[in-house]
Amino acid sequence: MEPIPQNGHKGLIYLNNAATSWPKPPGVIAEVKKSLQNPYFEQGRTTAGGAIDYPVAARTALAGFFCAEKPDHIIFTQNATDSLNLLIHGFTRNAPAPFHTITTELEHNSVLRPLHALEMDGAITLTTVPCTDNRVSLTTIKEALRADTRLVVMTHGSNVLGSVQDIKSIAEYLRANDIFFIVDGAQTAGHIPIDLSHMPVDAFIFTGHKALFGIPGIGGFYLSDPAAIAITKQGGTGSDSASLRHPRDMPTRFEAGTHNYPGIASLYAGVRFIEGISLAAIERKGRELTASFIRALKKTDTIHIYNESPDLPIVSFNIDGLDNHETGFILARAYQVITRTGLHCAPLVHQRIDGGNGCVRASLSWFTTPDECQVAAEAIREVAKECA
Amino acid sequence: MKEFVLDEPLTEGFLAFLRQFGTVRYLDTLKKPYFSFEKEQFISIKGFVGDESVEVRYNKEYQDLLGDYFHLLLYYFRQGPAGIMQLKQIEESLNEKMKIRQGTREGART
Repeated sequence: MEPIPQNGHKGLIYLNNAATSWPKPPGVIAEVKKSLQNPYFEQGRTTAGGAIDYPVAARTALAGFFCAEKPDHIIFTQNATDSLNLLIHGFTRNAPAPFHTITTELEHNSVLRPLHALEMDGAITLTTVPCTDNRVSLTTIKEALRADTRLVVMTHGSNVLGSVQDIKSIAEYLRANDIFFIVDGAQTAGHIPIDLSHMPVDAFIFTGHKALFGIPGIGGFYLSDPAAIAITKQGGTGSDSASLRHPRDMPTRFEAGTHNYPGIASLYAGVRFIEGISLAAIERKGRELTASFIRALKKTDTIHIYNESPDLPIVSFNIDGLDNHETGFILARAYQVITRTGLHCAPLVHQRIDGGNGCVRASLSWFTTPDECQVAAEAIREVAKECA
Repeated sequence: MKEFVLDEPLTEGFLAFLRQFGTVRYLDTLKKPYFSFEKEQFISIKGFVGDESVEVRYNKEYQDLLGDYFHLLLYYFRQGPAGIMQLKQIEESLNEKMKIRQGTREGART
């Protein structure tokens, strides 16, 4: 594997990839640099020519990556939170309100907060369903359905438990019952294969800065039926400029203003990087490393692991007798092991697993090495033993 | 949360001083000797003996009153045993102000 420049961070073991991946592939850094060195080029927005039209190139790459039928239905946003806000509020504005919505206790605040705000406004009624063994089943969703249920919003993979949900069967059921289904793929895109041609979700959200190896500030979603979502942002699109009415065609329908050009370039390069390795290899390595990391942690019985068989390279744990923030602080400052502590913006799942106190999350990436996992596990065990 | 870079490394003597004002946890057998200090309603501190930086978290509700508290700890530590009494007096005054504010808030709610 090509050596990754660590820019003075030699010895740092970065296990916070579920928040933002690091390091970035050299090809991503080079593409961002190239995007800034060349004149900005996008059809309708410049007279320059000859450079790469990154939005078009990235849309095409992402559509292929997700097996999505229409590249123009890939919409760029700032991140997954931005996507979810646009879709949730856009759907609610279009639908005859108030209506019933279902979500799950596995969700990130990027789902929970927009839904809570709408519930407080009286626009929706909300049911939050529990998970069993880190998963939300189709049966649980079915049990929560009501005659006025119009929307289900749920995660594809938990950012705390690393459990991948059975989205396909839920999507098929909801599609058959004409219920709009928004899936948050922030944690799965780039880790596992996602085939939207066989997973009939209405909207699939991704973010660039995690496993797709892009830079922060770029994300997006795939939307099957644009008419289901009201336009909540209007502005310049570089097309049909004489009209004061925002264009209805895709992708401009949901993209107002100048794109995050370097961000889109990074996403484009990130997808190409993943395809160069293959998702199968990334998924396999993630599972193997995570399993060996968990095996190492389990040798110490004062380390409490909340997800012993994750699908994604995420391990959540606490050390008996030590607050999670203290554990993270000690690991970072004494051992150079970077994790994330607290509630991970997912308060409901933490209420279930640790009483809402939070935990330490270690999350791996393609660039995490077996040695790093071993050193990090030894560090965690050492702290646990000293605190026993 | 604030991170402070100090003029000199933290010592076990400073931890002994901190114990006069709150709860100190000291894990001296770790790779680096870790300590935490918790003074309920005031602040918490995390750091390592021998390091020149610490992480300080304030009680948000009284941050305006407690913003200098960490500096007061450092200052009165340097005053020796007399510093303990002086800082305790300042603490009493801070506690009074916090009580008054809490009372005002509760009064406003009823």
